[in-house]
Amino acid sequence: MAKTILAVDDSGSLRQMVVFSLRAAGYQVTEAIDGQDGLDKAQAQIFDLVLTDQNMPRMDGFSLIRALRALPTYQKVPILMLTTESSDEMKAKGRAAGANGWLVKPFDPQRLTEVVKKVIG
Amino acid sequence: MTINNSLASKVTDLLSGLSDHGSQHLTEVESDLIQTNALLTEAIEKLSASFMAIHAAVIEQQHMVDGLATGMLVSPEATSALKAKSTLIDQHVNAAVTGLQFQDMTNQLIGRTLRRVVGFRDLLEVTGTSSIAIPIDASNEQLHGILTHINETLKTESQDLEKELWKAVCQTHMESGDIELF
Repeated sequence: MAKTILAVDDSGSLRQMVVFSLRAAGYQVTEAIDGQDGLDKAQAQIFDLVLTDQNMPRMDGFSLIRALRALPTYQKVPILMLTTESSDEMKAKGRAAGANGWLVKPFDPQRLTEVVKKVIG
Repeated sequence: MTINNSLASKVTDLLSGLSDHGSQHLTEVESDLIQTNALLTEAIEKLSASFMAIHAAVIEQQHMVDGLATGMLVSPEATSALKAKSTLIDQHVNAAVTGLQFQDMTNQLIGRTLRRVVGFRDLLEVTGTSSIAIPIDASNEQLHGILTHINETLKTESQDLEKELWKAVCQTHMESGDIELF
């Protein structure tokens, strides 16, 4: 059975590229338009990996991660941030919130696929 | 100090402050727009180059496939060439996908620019509103107080506006970003 990924980003074009890249690698990808939508979808289904942006309306990435980590079902699920942010300060905040990795946009599809494969197989 | 000198001093401070604040924000607007333009220009160039290359490779590959379809023998060289073309296509698709992400970043930059413009407009409105409230026969002391208040308001509101405009996008090139697993 294909591994499932929740891709959370308020940019439709960015989500489109994530879906294109990861579906081509055989993953099942579900989109969420912001942090709140991501949290709602994560509570309805347990994903193998969550890939989230940081700067989003309604609920940002850090808040989403903290909310997910508060759920028993998401305490061990890998969560990667995919964001334009690159400062050490933000990375530290992401790590403190519970993120397992940090990817700076723009991403290369091959490199994205490689890191996802490394994390969830 | 005479009344005229005092008034002149405060008016100078006000105008200078308005100019400095205006210049500061407009300089940032200019910087964001220049950066946006650079990203757009590079992204469009990369997209154009990648897709032209994909188009050429696909056409050439199609010629090969057509040749096979008409009954030509499949030589090892042709098989090797087909595989090489397929790899090349994948590379160009990856480059195109990377390039197509420009819209996310430029959208954030433009959004920030617009928020600053709106904020700056609100800031300038404070000056206009306050100046209307100055009595025509205001004493020097009254003028002093009013203009001081305007200056302080401008400084505070400008600082508040800056705090709201965190710069999330620092990329100046469309090369793929770093990856770090914690």
